[in-house]
Amino acid sequence: MNTNAALMNEDGVLPAEDLPGDFAIWIFILAEMLVFGVMFIVYAFARAHQLEVFNASQLTLNRGLGTLNTIILITSSYFVVRSVAAIKVNDARQSARWLLGAMALGAMFIVVKLWEFNEKFSAGITLETNDFYMYYLTLTSFHLMHVLMGMIILGCIVFKLRNGDYTAAEHFGVETGASFWHMVDLLWIILFPLVYIIH
Amino acid sequence: MQYQSQAVAKPYFIAAIALFLGQIIFGLIMGMQYVVGDFLFPAIPFNVARMVHTNLLIVWLLFGFMGATYYLIPEESETELFSPKLAIITFWVFLAAGAATVLGYLLVPYASLAKLTGNDLLATMGREFLEQPLPTKVGIVLVVLSFIFNVIMTMLKGRKTAISLVLVLGLVGLAVFFLFSFYNPHNLVKDKYYWWWVVHLWVEGVWELILGAILAFVLIKVTGVDREVVEKWLYVIITMTLITGIIGTGHHYYWIGAPAYWQVWGSVFSALEPIPFFMLTIFAFNMVNKRRREHPNQAAVLWALGTGVMSFLGAGVWGFMHTLAPVNYYTHGTQLTAAHGHMAFYGAYAMVVLTIISYAMPILRGRAANSNKAQVVEMWSFWLMTVAMVFITLFLTAAGVLQTWLQRISTTPMSFMATQDSVAIFYWMREVAGVVFLIGLITYITSFFIKGETKAS
Amino acid sequence: MATRFTKSMARNIFMGGSLFFFLLFLALTFDTNQKLPKRDNSQNLTASVIHGKKLWETNNCIGCHTLLGEGAYFAPELGNVYKRRGPDFIKAWIKGQPTGIPGRRQMPQFNFTDKELDDLVDFLKYTSEINTNNWPPNIEG
Repeated sequence: MNTNAALMNEDGVLPAEDLPGDFAIWIFILAEMLVFGVMFIVYAFARAHQLEVFNASQLTLNRGLGTLNTIILITSSYFVVRSVAAIKVNDARQSARWLLGAMALGAMFIVVKLWEFNEKFSAGITLETNDFYMYYLTLTSFHLMHVLMGMIILGCIVFKLRNGDYTAAEHFGVETGASFWHMVDLLWIILFPLVYIIH
Repeated sequence: MQYQSQAVAKPYFIAAIALFLGQIIFGLIMGMQYVVGDFLFPAIPFNVARMVHTNLLIVWLLFGFMGATYYLIPEESETELFSPKLAIITFWVFLAAGAATVLGYLLVPYASLAKLTGNDLLATMGREFLEQPLPTKVGIVLVVLSFIFNVIMTMLKGRKTAISLVLVLGLVGLAVFFLFSFYNPHNLVKDKYYWWWVVHLWVEGVWELILGAILAFVLIKVTGVDREVVEKWLYVIITMTLITGIIGTGHHYYWIGAPAYWQVWGSVFSALEPIPFFMLTIFAFNMVNKRRREHPNQAAVLWALGTGVMSFLGAGVWGFMHTLAPVNYYTHGTQLTAAHGHMAFYGAYAMVVLTIISYAMPILRGRAANSNKAQVVEMWSFWLMTVAMVFITLFLTAAGVLQTWLQRISTTPMSFMATQDSVAIFYWMREVAGVVFLIGLITYITSFFIKGETKAS
Repeated sequence: MATRFTKSMARNIFMGGSLFFFLLFLALTFDTNQKLPKRDNSQNLTASVIHGKKLWETNNCIGCHTLLGEGAYFAPELGNVYKRRGPDFIKAWIKGQPTGIPGRRQMPQFNFTDKELDDLVDFLKYTSEINTNNWPPNIEG
């Protein structure tokens, strides 16, 4: 603790030279990763307990739609990267456009996901069907809400970009939102193979 | 004291300490009844003693929170309180209502009390911690509303700091979630489900905002660390509190009839609930290490650091111990819950109120800090009470583990009462630790009457 | 460039994050309420059970006992007492209190009528049929 205190700058922050965005979002991201991390561990334990059930039910998932959603999210992350690059050269209009593109992809993700859920619900599958579906629905809908939250955050940034609140010198807000969006993407990249593929 | 109207905090603090003493005495009575079953029966049956014990706890903590707020808000807002008169009126109303309620518990059989106070109009009584008669519950709502009104009006005419904003958010949340105490459906599962919206969302939710704000205020004052730094860490810590604590409510929904998925949601989120407490501890120590001045009130610094450590141990570690559903399946409703409850309430809420009292009371009495002699006595009381509470918790934990084993896990489970007899030795030791706690509390009260050389504030 | 850590961002994340998780909690609560009828035995909430619950409350039974594991830990769990002891034992037990055995924990005499005793037993029967995910682990509660 003493060494930490000695290292801290006057803001009480450990020096980390190139964390993009606000330090506070990184604490939040860390918390979110912990939540998901613990959930993944719980999933792994539950799976080890009922291997048969999990393997059998897993085969009923629509991997095509899952793959499509993976591509959508990775593309959206690319758009967000371009948006940050644009604001760094002071092009707020272009930056906002890239973000709108990313939001549109987020909306596509949601539509595909709801379609997939609808398939399952019409097959009579609910949280109570078995433990696999309980984890599948819980993890994916929890992630889905993060996509929604990410879109709201990007929307706020677009609003502020249009307002001229961000410039090349003052773009921390854009980076902060971008960091969150990348986390949502990253979580899906872990979640997708874990729940849909790994046998 | 920078603002005249801060003085209204003083009666609140005095009442808090007096009720604290009452709480401990009834705790000792119950502790005795655990081992000598017919102690004071039928004059004070166990359920009455427990009601008094827990209700006094809640009321004295509320007195402490209100006193803290009345002390802190004028200083943070840099203006006099909106209405000191209203603050004094609510004080007497609240004290009278509290005293009448406790006397009602002690003197009137509970069923008659329910009939007398209109429980037939709206049945809200007879649920754990919410035993108060209807008029008392309405009274609490009115007192808290007038209190919040007074505080918000003060803030509106002055400076708005993060500390006062967080404090007021916590207080508004306290008021809002208390409204669920009026909702008592016939359906037992729903009754229990929303009962936790008062109990859990108070102690593992909005009360932690109040705790964080009070602690941040005291740390700024005693360490002289830059407000910006303290306030942003306050935000980060309470963010962690709420994102883990709100869904963490699920750890109460495992076995009361709610769907099984709460075992996953509750376990995952509540497993992370120790993190904000850990951050709070690290934060408190860091601020004190980086202090820019030596505050003469070293007792207050000790209480502030103690709050960090003990809330982490009591709420964090002891909570985590039995929060995962597979563990809780065996430990639910045993002495382990009691162990956790005792250390968490003391470590988090009792101690934070004692922290602000320790800091503010000398100033309210016209000096920056108490005399060295008085502070030494106060520090003794800190160690006596804290160590006693550690032992109470350890003995109850031992009783709980043994109880879980004999009554729940064993292939030949023993009956409840047979199990209780087998763990009686731990209840005896707990009672001894309880007596030490009382001695600590008396030492604490004594420290207010010790004179000596002091500096003017 | 050093990492930035601003108070306004910390505040925004606090507000947004708390709101997000509270909304999630509300969504889960909504789902729970949809699922409850299958689990909470509410189809058996007769007038007698409702009166029994009120007697349970107005005599502060929770001040000593636990019910589905919640309450005081001074006296036995009663969520499954109907299954453990049966109706007749429960009524006889309540009528026989206090035992007056020196040094033992004492339960007060509540002077219930026979009708009230039936209502209490009905309430305990209803409680014992709630789906609690197999809690408690064994009949001893």
